[in-house]
Amino acid sequence: MSKVLSLNSEQQDALQELLNISMGQAANSLAQLIETKIDISIPKISAVTPTQLFSLLFETENAYYTRQSFLGNIHGEVMSVISRSGLSEVAELMDYDEPLSKHDIQEIILELCNILAGACLSGLSEQLELITNLNMPTLFQPKKANFDELNWQHSLVMEVQFEIAISSFIMRVVFCLDDVSLSKIKTTLDEILE
Amino acid sequence: MSISVLVADDSKLSRRSVIRSLPQELTYNIAEATNGEEAIHALSEQKFELLLLDLTMPTVDGIGVLKFLNTSESAPNVIVISADFQPEKQKNVMELGAKRFLRKPLDKDELAMVFFELGYL
Repeated sequence: MSKVLSLNSEQQDALQELLNISMGQAANSLAQLIETKIDISIPKISAVTPTQLFSLLFETENAYYTRQSFLGNIHGEVMSVISRSGLSEVAELMDYDEPLSKHDIQEIILELCNILAGACLSGLSEQLELITNLNMPTLFQPKKANFDELNWQHSLVMEVQFEIAISSFIMRVVFCLDDVSLSKIKTTLDEILE
Repeated sequence: MSISVLVADDSKLSRRSVIRSLPQELTYNIAEATNGEEAIHALSEQKFELLLLDLTMPTVDGIGVLKFLNTSESAPNVIVISADFQPEKQKNVMELGAKRFLRKPLDKDELAMVFFELGYL
């Protein structure tokens, strides 16, 4: 059964801060790659059911979508949604030549997601002292039926805006977790809050 | 003698982490601010020796607080503690008068070293 993630206010604050730190590390990795300063917004975090997740994230066509599973002390799936706007400027900073081929675009999306979602998950895992291994991302096209059938009971959506000098793009990172993994995270958050 | 410290961070977890990481050899009078606006208000009302400042905060961010301090007659020593540690950001805060830039998650030993360098230990 799908349900909204239940975190108390202290757990929510702690998780938001841990993700904020992780996203800072992710932005630093990206800034090094494109040799450009990046400003990031304060991450907005919300919890939704898989059905709500579809409505929230995938109603628009103006985005690219990737998913990558992770295993370890907690397991689940990370989905990344990157706005199409701003991508060609990022591609230019990554030394891609215009016009971008379909292959170029796929490569850039997968690289960005791997850096940003990967740094985000590894930063979170490190701070929670959990071991997780992230698989390679794959591009996918969302279909509503897929979301009704998701195995994960909990979805944590984090939205961050990345501003670069010449453009900006929005990325949403969604952590999908099962009951056991969420319970493990909540226990660990309570331990660090003691 | 106690050191008056203002800890400015929107996250309760981070404020707690910073306070727990303060060197145990000293005693402190600690005040907390949950955003830049509260920090500026506290700095206007009271004199602090040390400000431990986050950058990414709602209402007014850490950069705004540093800019405010540049217009103030008596500014505390500022240690910026941030997850956004890109070189340009570090350069910016140092130019605005911060004494040190430390990365989140905060390393207790690194903070103690900064206290030593600033003459508190």
